[in-house]
Amino acid sequence: MARKKTSRAASDTAASTVVVMVLYVTESGPNSARAIANLEAICEEHLKDRYRLEIIDVLEYPRRALADGIVVTPSLAKVSPSPAATVVGNLSDKIEVLRALGIRG
Amino acid sequence: MQHAGPSYTLSGTEAERGFKRAILRLVKGGAERLAIEAGQIDAIIDPASGNAILLPEAQWALNGRKAEANSNRFARAILDALCVPIVVLDETGIVLSANQTWCVFSVTHSGIGAGVTQGSNYLATCDNARGNEQVDGVAIAAGVRQVIGRERALFRYDYTCNSATGQRWFSLCVSSIAGDDAARAVVLYQDITERKRGDLLLGLENRVLCCLADAGNATEAVKSVIRAVCEMQGWKCGRYFSLDQSAGVLRFSESWGMPLAAVEHFLEESRGLVFHPGAGLAGRVCQSGQPLWILDGRQETGLSPTALAPETGEDGAFVFPVTSEGTIVGVLAFSNPTIREPDDRMLNSVQFIGSRLGRLLQRLEALDALRRSESRFRALNLLTSDWYWEQDRAFRFTQINAGSPFGSTDILGMTHWDLPNVVLAYSNWAEHKSHLDARWSFHDFEFATVQADGRHAYYSICGQPVYDEVGSFKGYCGTGSDITERKRAEVALRRGTQGDVASTT
Repeated sequence: MARKKTSRAASDTAASTVVVMVLYVTESGPNSARAIANLEAICEEHLKDRYRLEIIDVLEYPRRALADGIVVTPSLAKVSPSPAATVVGNLSDKIEVLRALGIRG
Repeated sequence: MQHAGPSYTLSGTEAERGFKRAILRLVKGGAERLAIEAGQIDAIIDPASGNAILLPEAQWALNGRKAEANSNRFARAILDALCVPIVVLDETGIVLSANQTWCVFSVTHSGIGAGVTQGSNYLATCDNARGNEQVDGVAIAAGVRQVIGRERALFRYDYTCNSATGQRWFSLCVSSIAGDDAARAVVLYQDITERKRGDLLLGLENRVLCCLADAGNATEAVKSVIRAVCEMQGWKCGRYFSLDQSAGVLRFSESWGMPLAAVEHFLEESRGLVFHPGAGLAGRVCQSGQPLWILDGRQETGLSPTALAPETGEDGAFVFPVTSEGTIVGVLAFSNPTIREPDDRMLNSVQFIGSRLGRLLQRLEALDALRRSESRFRALNLLTSDWYWEQDRAFRFTQINAGSPFGSTDILGMTHWDLPNVVLAYSNWAEHKSHLDARWSFHDFEFATVQADGRHAYYSICGQPVYDEVGSFKGYCGTGSDITERKRAEVALRRGTQGDVASTT
C-alpha cells in the first residue's frame, strides 16, 4: 500500500505552509489502523487542507522504510517544513504528534 | 478523541520473552523501545535482511485477513463447482454473485431468470415477466420478497416454460441467508424436466391401463388409447393401422384427433390408407418392429416428402408398433407440428403402451373368434337336435333354449326327473343318476311324458360334464330331441306285427 493525500490548498498557494508527512504502516496491523485514524483526526482538526500525507505499507515496500531510517511501524515522518521529525507508535499521544508537526495545540 | 487501543505485553511465556529480547536488539532508539513496551508497534524491520517482522497482534490480524480471503475463495469455488444455477441476492433483489453454471444458464434459459447476471435486479425481472410467465413471475417475486424480508426461511416453486428443446420444468428454491451481511437470499434453480416427463409418462401408462380396462370392444380400446396419448403428450392426432395377416398389409383402422378442421380433414384423408411392409413410416415400423419419428415435416428421413405426405402432412410424426407376444398386430402413428426427440423413458413407455394395447386387441379378437365358434357350434347343435340345455352341479337347469318342448323358463331350477308328468321306471332314473354322479357322458337317454290328451310324448337327451379352468365340476350341458313320432311309429309297427302274428295263429 502506498497512498498519497494531497490538499487542494497545497497546490493553490506556495505561500501557505504545507506539512508533508509519510506514515509507515503495516496494513494488517491494529496499531497502524489506529495511527491512520488518529493522524487523520489531527490533520482534519489542525491542518485542514494544508498537508500532504503519503502512507507506505512496509510489507510491500520494506526497502523504502529502511532507506528512510524507519525500523518500526507505525512511524510518522514529517518531511517538511524543517525540522524533520519522527513519531513512533499509534499516534495516540496527540500532543507529541502536534509538537513533531510543529503545530501549536 | 485519540485511539489508544489495548496494549499488549511481551512478558509471559519463555518464548515470548525470548522474542521480546530479539526484537529489542533490532531497535536502537529509545522512542522505538518505549513504543514496543507500550504495545503500539505492529512490525519491526530487520536492518540486516530488510524483512518486516510482524508482532503478534498484527500477525493474527494478517492471518485472519488471509483466512477470510481463503474462505471467500473457498466459498466461491464451491459455488462454481455446483452444477445447479445459483445467484445470491441483496435486500433489494440485486444479484451480488452468480456461479458459473448460472452464467451459462442465464444465456441458454428462456424462462424467468433468463438474462439475469451479476448486478441485475432479479426481483425486477420477475415483476416484469409478461405473457405465460406473468403468473409465475408474480408468485416467485412474492416468495423471494418474503425470504429476503425473513418472513420465511425457504420458498419453493415449480414452473414450466418452453425452450428450443421443448417444454421444460424447473424447481426454484430460495433460501434465507442469516447474518448482517448484504447477502440476504440464495436462489437456486433445478432442472426437473426429466422427472416431470417421467411422471407424465407414468400417468399416461396408468391412464392407458384404465382405458384398456374400461374398453368394451377393440374400437373403444384403440380410440381411448390414442386420445390418452394425444392429450397427455400434447399431440394433435393419432391413427391406428391394423395388420391384415391374410393380406400382409397395414390398413387404416381407427383414429382420434383434436377438434380442428385441418386435423379432421387429415384423418378423413387417411381412411382407406393401406401400407405394405417397408412402405412409408408405418410400413417401415411394421417391418422393423422399431419406433420411428420425424421431429418435424422438414426432417430428412430418406423418404420423399410425397411419400410422407399422407402420413405426416407438414408435421412431425411418432410411429410405434403394437405387439402381442412379440408379434406385430398393428402400428400407432401420431402427428404434431413438432415432436420431441424421444428419450429412453419415452421409448419404454411406447413399448409398454404398444404391448398392452396389442395384448388386449388379440384377446378381444380371440374372444370374438370364440364367440363366433360357439355360435357356429350351437347352430350345428340345433341342426342335429331340438334344444340345448345346461345344468348346475345339482343337475338343475340353468339354461335351456326356446326350442325346448318344456319352455325356456318354466323348468329352470328343475332336474330332468322333476319335469312334469315324466314317465320312466324308477330303476332307469336311478341308473341315469348314477352315471351323472360318476360324471359320465351319456347318449340317447330316453324318457316320456304324459300330454294333456293322455298320449305319450317321447324325448331323447345327450349330455356331458362341464369343468372350469381348474378342473372343478360345474354341471352338465347337452342337447335334447323330440322322438315322439319315431316312437309312435315304432309302437304302431310293433302292434301291427303283433296283429299279423295273432291273425296267423
